Amino acid sequence: MKNNYFKNLYISSFDKNYYSKITLKSPEKYKEIEQFSELKNNLITSGSNFSYAPLGIDSKSLVLDMKKFNRILHFDKKKKEITVEAGIKISEFLNFTLDHDLWIPQLPGYPYITLGGAVATNSHGKSSGTDGTIRRMVKKIIIYHKDHGWLNLSNEENQEIFNLTIGGLGLTGTIVSITFQLEDFIFKDFITIRKKMVSVKDCLIELKKNILKDTFVYSWNMAQDFENFGKGYFFESKLEKNILKKKIKIPKKKNIFFPSLCLWNKFTIKLANLFFYKLQSLEKSPSQEEFLKVIFPYVGKELYFKMFGSKGLIESQLLVAENKLEQFLDEFKFFYKSEKPLITLFSLKNMSGEQAFIRFEGNRICVTFDFVNNKKNLNFLKILDKLCIKYGILPSIIKDSRIDKITFDKCYIYADEFREKLIKFDKKRIYKSEVSRRLEI
Amino acid sequence: MNYLIIGASSGLGRELTYTFAKNKNNLIICSRDKRDLLALKSDIENKHKVEVKTSTLDLTSEESIQSNLILDQETLKTIDGVLFPVGLMFENDKVDLELEKINNLSQANFSSVAFIISKYLGCKSEGTIIGFGSVSGYLGRELNPYYSASKRALDSYFESIGFNSKKKNIKIQFYILGYLETNLSFGKKLILPKGSVKKLSEIVYKNKNKKFKKYFFPFWWRFIVLIIKIIPFSMILKNFRFLK
Repeated sequence: MKNNYFKNLYISSFDKNYYSKITLKSPEKYKEIEQFSELKNNLITSGSNFSYAPLGIDSKSLVLDMKKFNRILHFDKKKKEITVEAGIKISEFLNFTLDHDLWIPQLPGYPYITLGGAVATNSHGKSSGTDGTIRRMVKKIIIYHKDHGWLNLSNEENQEIFNLTIGGLGLTGTIVSITFQLEDFIFKDFITIRKKMVSVKDCLIELKKNILKDTFVYSWNMAQDFENFGKGYFFESKLEKNILKKKIKIPKKKNIFFPSLCLWNKFTIKLANLFFYKLQSLEKSPSQEEFLKVIFPYVGKELYFKMFGSKGLIESQLLVAENKLEQFLDEFKFFYKSEKPLITLFSLKNMSGEQAFIRFEGNRICVTFDFVNNKKNLNFLKILDKLCIKYGILPSIIKDSRIDKITFDKCYIYADEFREKLIKFDKKRIYKSEVSRRLEI
Repeated sequence: MNYLIIGASSGLGRELTYTFAKNKNNLIICSRDKRDLLALKSDIENKHKVEVKTSTLDLTSEESIQSNLILDQETLKTIDGVLFPVGLMFENDKVDLELEKINNLSQANFSSVAFIISKYLGCKSEGTIIGFGSVSGYLGRELNPYYSASKRALDSYFESIGFNSKKKNIKIQFYILGYLETNLSFGKKLILPKGSVKKLSEIVYKNKNKKFKKYFFPFWWRFIVLIIKIIPFSMILKNFRFLK
């Protein structure tokens, strides 16, 4: 039956900076994707809605929730190829591929994100310094576009749209299925080396050492006060062959209830940082670590996000050129000293790839800050935007739902090229999200 | 065991397909769109290592049923059970509905199901038949009159084949469904909560060997239906207009 009822619900982005009433349809059949796409002029596709910024939601577009498109369409173990529907969660995907000792390494830190979402955002993982982004593993995509219908996208077919779609934030149409090239995964555990860092400069030296190494590296640094700024740990995880072939199973998501008050303040941040720092100093190095802990560090730590309360957080993820990083961080610290922002997380990792269109990608250092959402921090973030423009830094529009068009246009030098190609393909600009409206993409 | 699931591509049918596959049963799945069937087949075969055959079938088309190879005697003989998680509705289903749609509703919800069952009974002396009715079949209604009439017919038909099952070793179960968490009820503001299709499919699997049984799901509909049956229809018509 054709059910023309819509679900109207209030929904927020993961960082809670966008909250709106949206109209949603949840197709379950291929024909329903076609039928529902006819119901409104503007559409946007949603997966698990775990992106920090509102990429899959918009108050003026009909949201197509693709969660029911979560099946494995084809699997060729010999060729190491898999075709899956876009609504499949990373956990469901890995629970299948890992049984066959295969995987893709470019996975974001939370396993309940859909692969359609990961492709639309060109996600990366902890090994982004060597493995780059998910783009490297995508062989083919099938999208449904309200005007163009079903389209096969690959390097051989509709190449331009294929390139626009990966990291294109779902603006080229509804991603329905994706074919991935898989990699061998004969390892089951990690050996992690922890190194104590006195400053950010120490971390940069370690990051440089690991640039071409087949390791999962990132740092955790404190930023609770000026004196301890940059102090922390550097983690270097290497895959370890486990003789006992144990099965990795990613558990289902658990919902936890937490009051809507923000519990992050100067005192709790300091306490949490000191606790974590002490905990790391007590851990053995090198130590054996489970797959889940290294690849999906946020699993079981959802409380961290809940503690930001109903106002949420602002995550600022920046791609900084290596030769500008020290200068940038010095200036950052200068403003940090006067503005005293509340930063709960500060981390560094390597990133590799080629920056094009609106993709968050490049041979740079990836710097991440989590800010408590308050007036003081918002003022500090305005300064940070200016620093991004000054140092040619790429701020992530997937993480930071606050970035305006001016900053975006100045930092994303290929954004106009993306806009031109997109409008050439989709003259009516059908697929729109809050992010695309704000940034006028 | 081999099961034939008609209407497998969405809602309850899809959930039943996974439940039966998870329990290592081979399946023949039918629905209108080949794309949905192939996606389901591939997913199940990869995950559960059972054999899945597909067949496109449109219950509103006599030609589609007559020409379907799955429904020939030789194939039906190999099938241990048939499930009919089907339900066709139209939003404009009111008394003045056009003839073509009335026919579609009665075919998809009743006559095609009855025809397939008759074929199955004709060539099997043992097996399982599982049907799905609706609580709407218990009361004449202003909205969806043809849907509810065809579901009432189906209910009566299942009672009739219950007699048949006494002579043969045929197990028959009939589920009378209230609101379920499917796309049929998506976005609708309903008075009572929706039942979980996952839970229902597990119940269906667990009960598949019962001789003859009628079930209400969610269970509270049993009591509501009981009350409706007690009250004279003239009183319902006069005092319970909200039941339309």
